[in-house]
Amino acid sequence: MAGVEIRQIVKRFGDVEVIHGINLDIRDGEFVVFVGPSGCGKSTLLRMIAGLESTTGGDILIGDTRVNELPPRARDIAMVFQDYALYPHKSVFENMAFGLRLRKTPEADIQARVKEAAAILRIDHLLERKPRQLSGGQRQRVAMGRSIVRNPKCFLFDEPLSNLDAQLRNEMRTEIKKLHARLGKTIIYVTHDQVEAMTLADRIAVLSGGRVMQYATPDEIYHRPAAKFVAGFTGSPAMNFLRGTLAAGAERFDAGTVQIVLPKSLSSAARARVGQAVELGIRPEDIAIAGDLQNYATATVAASVVVLEPLGAETLVTLRIGEQEVVCRTRPDVSAQPGQTVEARLRLDKLHLFDATNGVALRS
Amino acid sequence: MNDRGGLLSGVRLRFIAATIVVLNGFFPAVWILFTSLKSEAELFRKPITYFPHEPTLRNYIAAAVDQPLFQVFMKNSVVVALLATVVSLLVAAFAAYAIARLNLKRRQLILTAIIASSMFPLITLLVPIFETMRALGWLNSYLALVFPYVVLNLPVCTLVLVSFFQSIPRDLENAAMIDGCTRFETLWRVVLPLSAPGVFTAGILAFVNAWDEFLLALSLNSNAAMRTLPVGITLYQGEFTFPWPIISAALIVAIVPVAIVIAIFQERVVGGLTAGGLKG
Repeated sequence: MAGVEIRQIVKRFGDVEVIHGINLDIRDGEFVVFVGPSGCGKSTLLRMIAGLESTTGGDILIGDTRVNELPPRARDIAMVFQDYALYPHKSVFENMAFGLRLRKTPEADIQARVKEAAAILRIDHLLERKPRQLSGGQRQRVAMGRSIVRNPKCFLFDEPLSNLDAQLRNEMRTEIKKLHARLGKTIIYVTHDQVEAMTLADRIAVLSGGRVMQYATPDEIYHRPAAKFVAGFTGSPAMNFLRGTLAAGAERFDAGTVQIVLPKSLSSAARARVGQAVELGIRPEDIAIAGDLQNYATATVAASVVVLEPLGAETLVTLRIGEQEVVCRTRPDVSAQPGQTVEARLRLDKLHLFDATNGVALRS
Repeated sequence: MNDRGGLLSGVRLRFIAATIVVLNGFFPAVWILFTSLKSEAELFRKPITYFPHEPTLRNYIAAAVDQPLFQVFMKNSVVVALLATVVSLLVAAFAAYAIARLNLKRRQLILTAIIASSMFPLITLLVPIFETMRALGWLNSYLALVFPYVVLNLPVCTLVLVSFFQSIPRDLENAAMIDGCTRFETLWRVVLPLSAPGVFTAGILAFVNAWDEFLLALSLNSNAAMRTLPVGITLYQGEFTFPWPIISAALIVAIVPVAIVIAIFQERVVGGLTAGGLKG
């Protein structure tokens, strides 16, 4: 077992630098998710850890070994690919046994380990089949089985669930989480799906444009985003942003017709930005139009209802506040009608301020 | 009904086209087969008999048994064609893998050069090859033919394999390398088995080319014991005689190995194609 350390990693393709000096420390046994939009460099970073892509600068350590120059086979890692990458000409058993056979593992050992992994993944009845005779979910299980049997130091997952339908994806997500609990191995998991990131990770690295925007626990990513990009990337629907300026010694957020008095903690952090453009962020669940959020300190603003989207367990209400629109998550029995004017209450302790030019969170 | 008629006429057109191609290809072979079963007297009888009236196997005995060197020619052809095929495939596999997978700067140029190199008419290469073989002391040996055949086969084998290799998802190779393969093992254990249809296609081309080749075989191996079938059979004709039925019988025997090779390989090609159904 081993952690993974990434020090000042740079990657250039020709003249284009796609990874700009990333530092990450992944602890032994930790489940870390790299998340970000396509093109953010998350897959490239994973492939550099795997050894499938060379590094232009910096160091990668697995355990205490610097692996930059080691070929993939010498890094003691296993990888699960998005399109499964099962060997079509081999049976499920041989797919799983391939790595062991290459390492000249005794046959009895191979039999035992493949069967054990197959039992864990509930594919023991499929061992004689060829990959083409399996469903997508079964193939993904075989791909995971192939990595488990080798008992590597570290597992790498490259968007493993993207090709599955929604229901199967949820199922496999739970499966992967159970697997991590059972094996206790370091897992690095790449996805563009923030739900996967939030549900699976011990820590999430949010990447954008070849940089790590924030590396923290899901809770912190969600509740204390370090940048507007991170705030906008997590949560569904995403965080609302209101454009405005800081007024009255940064005690007030001024969005033209709408004024919000900021809590002390925010205004003291933003004091230096008085008069500058900022964005005020608030999540949909921290806005109330019915009797919710009674027990919290809130700021009240006038809003008009634009549209209601009932989802069953909850209803999403789009509100117009001044010139800008926000989405509010509320109870399904809310009595609002489109066009109606309501009082929207914003939870003060859940307000976020971001610099409007570089998106950095302003906080103490 | 009209639609069906249109469809049917389309099918019929295709059928007619296929018939023309097949007849054109098979007529000479069938004619040779019929000739091989006729006696010399029947062959020159007028009016012409198309089907042999008194079919006989005497020509086959004359061609294959009575000609003491026939079996030597056959052996030479088999050895030369098999060696040329195997070596062509091996070298082409490495070349094609490099072209398909490595980040070569001038990949297109290399491919163009490969195609260009196969454009020279063989007759222009004959003298240089002959001189080279003489200098190497390889005249009248298997090497004298195997070596040029490999070189001549490389372009087409490489091109066929490149296109097959490129169709294999890269992640399969990545998975193999993470599983513990070196580059070479990846090629040998994953890429080549998955490219079976391509390997067999290239193999058939290489084998048939080597089997049929005449000019080099005639020029480089003048020793009767080193002749291949095409040359050997041609020399059945005497100064004043053309024993057509015997030559035909020898030709039919010469075609058989090729037909067998193609039949075997074709089955593998079809099998390989279905095994390749990997995606998603």
